[in-house]
Amino acid sequence: MLNFLKQVGDYAKETVQAAKYIGQGLSVTFDHMKRRPVTIQYPYEKLIPSERYRGRIHFEFDKCISCEVCVRVCPINLPVVDWTFDKATKKKTLDHYSIDFGVCIFCGNCVEYCPTNCLSMTEEYELAAYDRHELNYDSVALGRLPYKVTDDPMVTPMRELAYLPKGVVDPHDLPEGSRRAGKLPQEILAEIEASKPAKTEQASD
Amino acid sequence: MLLILIAATISIFIAVWLERKVSAAAQQRIGPEYIGPLGALQATADGIKLIFKEDINPAKADSILFTLGPALVVIPVFISYLVVPFGQNMVITDLGIGIFLWIALSSITPIGFLMSGYSSNNKYSLLGGLRATAQSISYEIPLALAVLAVVMMSNSLSTVDIVNQQAGYGILSWNIWRQPVGFILFWIAALAECERLPFDLPEAEEEIVAGYQTEYGGMKFGLFYVGSYVNLVLSAMLVSVLYLGGWSFPVPVEVLAGTLGISETTPWLQVITAALGIMMTLIKAYFLVFLAVLLRWTVPRVRIDQLLDLGWKFLLPVALVNLLLTAALKLAFPFAFGG
Repeated sequence: MLNFLKQVGDYAKETVQAAKYIGQGLSVTFDHMKRRPVTIQYPYEKLIPSERYRGRIHFEFDKCISCEVCVRVCPINLPVVDWTFDKATKKKTLDHYSIDFGVCIFCGNCVEYCPTNCLSMTEEYELAAYDRHELNYDSVALGRLPYKVTDDPMVTPMRELAYLPKGVVDPHDLPEGSRRAGKLPQEILAEIEASKPAKTEQASD
Repeated sequence: MLLILIAATISIFIAVWLERKVSAAAQQRIGPEYIGPLGALQATADGIKLIFKEDINPAKADSILFTLGPALVVIPVFISYLVVPFGQNMVITDLGIGIFLWIALSSITPIGFLMSGYSSNNKYSLLGGLRATAQSISYEIPLALAVLAVVMMSNSLSTVDIVNQQAGYGILSWNIWRQPVGFILFWIAALAECERLPFDLPEAEEEIVAGYQTEYGGMKFGLFYVGSYVNLVLSAMLVSVLYLGGWSFPVPVEVLAGTLGISETTPWLQVITAALGIMMTLIKAYFLVFLAVLLRWTVPRVRIDQLLDLGWKFLLPVALVNLLLTAALKLAFPFAFGG
């Protein structure tokens, strides 16, 4: 009898403890509801890609010497270099050049090894297409420059992923309109402009 | 009947909006914000999309059962709205067996789940359908026992009588103080009946794709979707009717009117009382929906064996003890527990 009562007591204790933990969990979830959203509202706000961002590859047709180094260093020999040998000048002339971005892994080896620097990385990452064959970029498509995030009037550029102002750790009760960490490019430019005249004055003195 | 349909449909919009916004807030997101004010019309957009999608019958599916399944899930839920009272006379039918009707109707839905799971001719659908049936059947019993304890105290199965019995002393006379265990039991069992997150095994997407909904698309899927949200709102309303005093204000309106020196038969007071009744029922119901959404992002899903353990080895004995205790208390203190 006593043993049975003890079992019942232990079971009740465990139940109460479980209920307590669920209550604690609920309070954590409830606390999250008062925090600032961490999300970037993507089509209207975009992150500025970093300086070394490895986006879609840019190609300059006139600089290319058809050496095919990019093909050799590519892990899957992806770039297609179509050239003909011009007997008169004894030089290779490039006819077509293409990279299929549906297959490319954006490792950047071709950019690294190109002897004439005709390949470079852009900050473009929105490559979605309705057909995978549209991702096979020819030399004209490769030669286009991407639209910069900071130039797009529809987009609010975001400097960093951090969602709190600099030095703030607590996401609750932030003042209205307080901004994320990091300055926008135009602000940095404005600051440089502001500090310039002071320097020239010092120089003239 | 049309009134129920409209009321239930509007209740879905509010429930879906609440679910999406609260979920977003709990995950530090913003949630829908472009469709309608604060994204309130998101459910309309989803609904329109579902209506215009192609109605697909899988080639090897049993087309009659496949079509009948969703209908059988939705119709009982809508009919159950018949017995939900919003005020003394604001109920579509004040049946003598009101709450029993709801329990009876809610045991039709598992047949619909099993039908759609079986007829889809898909192993995940079948698994989901079987899980849904097992879950509904095992949680019906503690649910009914919890209701029985309340019914015993109010000496009536009618939902209006149950609320009236809680009306005397405002918030103090609500059943939640006399039936705290019953309240928790009922809420857990109701969540399981609605297949809300801690108990959403029948449609656990990580395990069995989407359970019995896997093969459904277009408006047939839409019916399941509608059914689940209507069921959630309905359960929340019944919790508020059974335990939180239904349409009654925390302070009895008669007492307020008495202290202000207004006659109870004043027409404008009666209009205000009716409006207040509807407001109170809805506020209580949507508070419980909010709680369910919060619970969804707090508690992980249980395993199927844990689910059945909880149903049969915990809720059932506790519900039985609760029922016996209520009976004993009713005999010992007839003035407090209904004579």
